[in-house]
Amino acid sequence: MRRDDAAGLEIVRLWQVQYPLSAARVKVEFCDLPGLALLDSLVGMEAAVLVDAIRSSAPPGTVIRLGPDELASFTPESASSHGWGIAETLHLGFSLYAWLAKCKITLFGIVGKDFELGAGLSPEVHSGVQKVVELIDREIQSLIN
Amino acid sequence: MKTIEVPALARVEGEGGLYIGVKDNQVVEIRLDIYEPPRFFEGFLVGRFLQEVPDITARICGICPVAYQMSSVAALEKALGVEVTPQVYALRRLMYCGEYIESHALHIYLLQAPDLLGQPSALDLAAIAPDVVRNALRMKKIGNEILKAIGGRSVHPVNACVGGFYRWPDASSLKALLTELEWGLEAAKETVRWSLILPYPDLEIDYEFVAIHHPEEYAVMHGDVFSSTGKKTSVADYEMRYFEEHVERSNALHGHTANGGTYLVGPLARLNLNNAQLLPAAQAALQGAKLDLPLRNPYKSLIARAIELVNFYEEAIQLIENYLPEGPAHAALTFKAGEGTGMSEAPRGLLYHRYKIDEQGMVRFVKIVPPTAQNLPRIEADLLVLAPKLVDMQQDQATITAEHLVRSYDPCISCATHFLKLRVENVRDG
Repeated sequence: MRRDDAAGLEIVRLWQVQYPLSAARVKVEFCDLPGLALLDSLVGMEAAVLVDAIRSSAPPGTVIRLGPDELASFTPESASSHGWGIAETLHLGFSLYAWLAKCKITLFGIVGKDFELGAGLSPEVHSGVQKVVELIDREIQSLIN
Repeated sequence: MKTIEVPALARVEGEGGLYIGVKDNQVVEIRLDIYEPPRFFEGFLVGRFLQEVPDITARICGICPVAYQMSSVAALEKALGVEVTPQVYALRRLMYCGEYIESHALHIYLLQAPDLLGQPSALDLAAIAPDVVRNALRMKKIGNEILKAIGGRSVHPVNACVGGFYRWPDASSLKALLTELEWGLEAAKETVRWSLILPYPDLEIDYEFVAIHHPEEYAVMHGDVFSSTGKKTSVADYEMRYFEEHVERSNALHGHTANGGTYLVGPLARLNLNNAQLLPAAQAALQGAKLDLPLRNPYKSLIARAIELVNFYEEAIQLIENYLPEGPAHAALTFKAGEGTGMSEAPRGLLYHRYKIDEQGMVRFVKIVPPTAQNLPRIEADLLVLAPKLVDMQQDQATITAEHLVRSYDPCISCATHFLKLRVENVRDG
């Protein structure tokens, strides 16, 4: 309902369609407002690839990859609102659960432009979707092979 | 001109700002400017089939979707003249237990406790008290698991419908939660003991408390609207005594009583009005706390939430142990034109819905009154009490102090429109 905020969902759905053999070999979870429950989804996982829209000063549509080391050193500015973002949640998880450090987490973020109420991605984000689809499949291939 | 500006109030849901006008070192105006955009749910429900309503209204809030589902189905069932079975009612209460558990555990430990303990956030609290936060997350997870077992997923569950549920959840999936619920009940009792030693600021307000009351149960979905003034109102007559008005500065409406007064809904109101209906373990926790009721300190709503946590863990265990689904999971519906009102106690307070439907079951009118809209004028009034202290503070301290008070309400601005920039400025004459 907040336009580019749905980019992660769109990317993973498209990846499932384009790469069904890869998708069949991994657990796919669409986390609708996961908040702190993201940590529950990571329990027992050897690796996880997270895909989400992000806010950044970079141009809309820019794709950012953060590896395990970068995610572990996240220092979010604040844990705001009821909704815990990925950065805050992972930061809390790393400080509480030793097992989380054993999970190889990679985040693919696509910089959003329009987070206002409404449906549909902005043209800038839409044009970057296919690139992320290919990047996440390459990441998953490296994990499962 | 003296100006204090707070860029954003953290750890509340939604966006808004706080303005404090000062003249001759006296506070002359306090405003909560709610600029979270309006969401138009009432508008786009019109023209929808009534069975779409519970799943759409659940989307109003990620923390209290069950409240929106339950108030909407109650109103629509009233319009159709449908009575649900005792099994459906029990399962709805169990679903609500899950929502209270996840919402209260989140607010107590991750949103308000850091304030009382002088920590900037839950992340900082986790750094100094990791076991406390681990337990909080475990408590919260149990609530989410209840929602998942009944509604298919922990956020925006999808099984509730007008007349009951689309299907009965497996008894085995619910009974599998009992061990964790027993742990949670003990953790909730410990939460009450812990809540009593937290350092609460001194602030006593002479509130009018308003909550649903039922003589035979801790009211969540059934009963009349009770006020601490002694007035009793049926759900159907709610709009005769409780009004909403638009104020220019706010995309959320403001609630007030028929005589223009403010009132308070939420955990303090429920505990003060309904403590006699708490279940035995929660009643014991309340007695052990030796509280001087009614509680009138807004910060101590944390204690009320902790006692309610005990109550809802206790009730969830009872409901699961007695869960024996029989017969159809939902009533057969016969559509007819009509109007119905429904109400339930969301974790943040009273949530009212009214619908008009046509003979095909299509929605023709919707009115939704969320708890935060009812509390907004009361929050402003509380801030006015606090304002003389804020004016004398540095910007950072004023921000934190105002935020603490607002957060103690656990406001959901997104639901109410739907927080916080603080501006304090000296007002010029003319």
